[in-house]
Amino acid sequence: MSDTRRRLIASVLLRRTGQGLGVALAVSVLCFLVVRQLPGDAAYRIAAGRYGDDLVNAESAAAVRAELGLDRSAWQQLGDWLLDLVQLDFGRSLVSSRPVLAEVGYYLLGTLQLTAAALGIAIVLGGTIGVVAARRPGGVLDRLTTAWVALVRALPPFLLGLLLILLLSVHFGLLPAVGHGNSSSLVLPALTLAVGISGLIARVTRDTVIDVTNSEQVQFARTKGLGERVVLVRHVLRNTGVVLVPYLGAQAVILIEGVVVVESLFAWQGLGHALVHAVFWRDVPVLQAAALALARLVVAINTVVDFAVLGLDPRPRRKGVLA
Amino acid sequence: MGRFTRTGVAMGLATALAASAACSGGERTERSDSNTLRIAGPFEVHSLEPAASDGFFTRLQVVETLVSSDMRGELTPGLATSWSDAKGMRSWTFELPEDAEFHDGTPVTPDAVAASLEAAADEAASPLADAPVRRIVPVDSGVRFDLSAPYPTLPAVLTHYSTAALAPASYDDGHVTEVIGSGPYEIDRVELPASIEVSRFDEWRGDQPAIEKISFQAVGRAESRALMAVSFQADVVFGLEPAGRERVAATNGVAMESSLQPRTLLLKVNADHPVLGDVRVRQALSLALDRAGMADAVLREKELAATQLLPPSLRTWHEDGLEPLEHDPDAARDLLAEAGWKPDESGTLRKDGTPLRLTLTTYPDRPELPALATAIQASLREIGVEIEVDVTNSSEIPARHQDGSLELGLFARHFALVADPLVTVAETFAPQGEDWGVMNWRDGEVTKAVDGLLHSPSDDEAQEYRTRIVETAQQELPLIPVAWYRMNAAVSDRVANFELDPLERTWRVADVSWAEQ
Amino acid sequence: MRTARRSEPSDVNTALVRPDAIAETSGRWSASRVLAASVLVVIAAFGIIGPLMLPDPATQDLSRFLEPPTWAEPLGRDDYGRSVIARLAHATRLSLVLAALCVGTALVLGTAAGIASAWFGGWVDAALRGLSEVLVALPALLVVLLFAALAADGSLWTLYIGLALVQWVEYFRVVRARSGLVLGSPAVEAASLLRLGPVHVLRRHLWPELRPLVTTLASLGMVTCILAVSTLGFIKVGLKPPRAELGLMVTEGFPFYDSAPWMSVAPVLVLFLLTACFLGLRRTEVTT
Repeated sequence: MSDTRRRLIASVLLRRTGQGLGVALAVSVLCFLVVRQLPGDAAYRIAAGRYGDDLVNAESAAAVRAELGLDRSAWQQLGDWLLDLVQLDFGRSLVSSRPVLAEVGYYLLGTLQLTAAALGIAIVLGGTIGVVAARRPGGVLDRLTTAWVALVRALPPFLLGLLLILLLSVHFGLLPAVGHGNSSSLVLPALTLAVGISGLIARVTRDTVIDVTNSEQVQFARTKGLGERVVLVRHVLRNTGVVLVPYLGAQAVILIEGVVVVESLFAWQGLGHALVHAVFWRDVPVLQAAALALARLVVAINTVVDFAVLGLDPRPRRKGVLA
Repeated sequence: MGRFTRTGVAMGLATALAASAACSGGERTERSDSNTLRIAGPFEVHSLEPAASDGFFTRLQVVETLVSSDMRGELTPGLATSWSDAKGMRSWTFELPEDAEFHDGTPVTPDAVAASLEAAADEAASPLADAPVRRIVPVDSGVRFDLSAPYPTLPAVLTHYSTAALAPASYDDGHVTEVIGSGPYEIDRVELPASIEVSRFDEWRGDQPAIEKISFQAVGRAESRALMAVSFQADVVFGLEPAGRERVAATNGVAMESSLQPRTLLLKVNADHPVLGDVRVRQALSLALDRAGMADAVLREKELAATQLLPPSLRTWHEDGLEPLEHDPDAARDLLAEAGWKPDESGTLRKDGTPLRLTLTTYPDRPELPALATAIQASLREIGVEIEVDVTNSSEIPARHQDGSLELGLFARHFALVADPLVTVAETFAPQGEDWGVMNWRDGEVTKAVDGLLHSPSDDEAQEYRTRIVETAQQELPLIPVAWYRMNAAVSDRVANFELDPLERTWRVADVSWAEQ
Repeated sequence: MRTARRSEPSDVNTALVRPDAIAETSGRWSASRVLAASVLVVIAAFGIIGPLMLPDPATQDLSRFLEPPTWAEPLGRDDYGRSVIARLAHATRLSLVLAALCVGTALVLGTAAGIASAWFGGWVDAALRGLSEVLVALPALLVVLLFAALAADGSLWTLYIGLALVQWVEYFRVVRARSGLVLGSPAVEAASLLRLGPVHVLRRHLWPELRPLVTTLASLGMVTCILAVSTLGFIKVGLKPPRAELGLMVTEGFPFYDSAPWMSVAPVLVLFLLTACFLGLRRTEVTT
């Protein structure tokens, strides 16, 4: 490994670590302030979350207040929470009394499953469409692709989800409409997210494939007499990857945002679902941990993408070798 | 990414199609051959703690309460085989069966049951915390409650899900970490907050239930639940909204079941409020409500329009002879005019220049509440009363009751949280006020009648007391009834003997069986 | 929320990552842009004039719930007997006004910060960059959700602030990158040698370069905002019934999709046309 590479890797790590720390602090304080600012009495809210509307009353709220120390000052509560956070102690959910780490871990897994499945489907779908369109720029398929890209771009994910439910679940009875846990209930939410971003992936794939195919490098390879397939795999694929991977990173980030809606629509247990509930029930520890997990996920994906680009792009390496 | 060739493209598409086909194929077989009774409902399972569990483990018959109730709402033996009182209802003894076993194989001992009950009595949210319990003593063949005051409704309180008996191994450091009950079904898997799976408990002391496995799934959106019902992804689906019910009605193979619940959708009124303190204003508000129209439009059933506070499902408390609440906007305007409220040029009622403007607090947990709130708003605007609707968290109603800022609160009051409605009615009309009952309203006659009922009167006396309470409430309107409540479920044809419990205590899954094919 | 908000990850060349956002060629109005603009004008007119002429969108007539379309009520009535067309007009106005406000605020703030960052460099640049790094890593929907939750009374202020807050970063990053190039160009150096002053540089050199970028971002930003507000309406955060909002109307209409399709088709169509036309407003994309 050359010095240049090492320096590059170090700079990526430094930058992302800084970002991660900044995000953690910002999220914690923001969540805390927001929950503080929410109107209404937190003890009553939490009691309602725990016991339901039939049993929440002055007595159960008073018991909650005493148990959770809600009469401490705001600064004291924030300080205690940050102190616990440094020791990696996230505490217990105020509503379910279960350890926050276990609870958020469970939701994180749900979100990751959904995101990974969606990204997989999107790559297959968008990549395929893009490559097909790139074969004859300006042809019928290419125009259809442009229309598809515009169509899915203009549809919000919840509408797409509703349409897919109506089509696949109600009319054809192929897939379960909602649910969580088994593989078949993953398909519809993943497909909803995937269709949403497949348009942009198709677009980028198409443009880069065309660019790369027309590039001097590839033209030269052709004149060298390399077969069409070898050219495609060795040159086009690799160079397309350099452009696509960071793009996929950006898409994964957008996906993670999209999951909130899709999770709510399909009753899929993930971080978005946890967030909405925690805001509603004033479950500060879960809210903070879920928000942290989401933000950290974004930073983590960006880091992975940075490294993937370093690995895929031959240019820095060549420079390093030459130096 | 696949190879960028024609074959590659074809393969990619084929894989995607095959994957989705495989999944759907799997689901199909599961749908027809499943030996699992699949239940879906709107509420999530928040916790394993009995008081915070919303009764899911009692409904799935995993845990048992000492006392149970039948389809008429009468008390029946639960985990306890019998009970008796002594010392003028200051001491109650509940006998436990000899052969009962928890799901972990340990016997149901008086010590274990007493420990669970102690935990419930310490939980402020449990109705048992309101009973004058001095101590709970394990005795030879059961448990004894020593009370500091006579308490005739103790057996009814012990039907509440927060008082269920758990095995000692369920607890760890004061928290319930595992639900080990003594009912006909045992837990296979709990995935908070959305799913519970249970299977038949082979050592159950009673008759073996017909259904082997049951799963419950929480699904928040009503339209999603309706889809599950009509596409047979669940066998029993609770809590459908009107549009979903219509779709179920139009689908073959699934039917709607429903039962009138002991719940009333009502307006809580701050009787100390400068405007609402005048009984004529309360009566006028009641007269202005087009209850039949609201029930028809919001609940899609005219018959649910309330004619009095307590619904017909509470047979002893519902007075058939009572003058029903009417819709008469003109009479309402007259009453308000009598109380000094005159319309200005825009139609808004004013008294000494101040407009008649009130805030109505409600919450979205039950979707019909915000809908009814907007309907009430429209009804009252017709007589010149301006209502501002505040849709917020359910806890705001008790919170605003406590700080006195509540004006009108719209909610669904369950009058049989425990099997005897008297417990809830007594609380509702407590002279000092109650979070989910009257606010700054007291009436000597009603207080006396409630006291009389709590001291085990004769049947005739009891009837007289009840009539007095119900009639005063109808006249004074400290709580303005709006509509009654119907619980519904879409039930698939492959399920037989499914019955909705009138008290929402249990789903009676042990009595359900598969329909003959 | 699906708009590619980040020109990130890594500093890989923004233009390549987002060809559709930054692509920029001729300023000629193609037929499709004219079409998109005209449709937008029609929808905007409906959103501005409609609420003035149509009845109150919150007025219920419970006896007429789910009435099908008639000449008097071209879009029928919803499950409370409210006029769907009146609600649609109010919802359209809300979406357009809120989106325009957010985009305007984000544009001004982001562009100013981006130019300042490139112009002054040093600690100004470092501070703004640090701030944008943190904001970029925060999922936009998370921030908007938290802000929207604050508006328990259904007020729109917090929603506006939240949306503007997550959007300005995009302008900042693009403007900062482009301004850096422009300010380092020989033309600007010559201008500063001639002491033509900062106003001249801004007007003659920076703005012509930035304008196409910023307008492209703005039309995308409108789409993001409209989608974000409808998404929040759909998950019932921030906006409260009976306020009419496109996403909320879709949610309310969906259960009746087969018995009263007029309830959901109308808001879906307006939502789709709005986003499609704002996308169509962008200039010609990368040509091959």
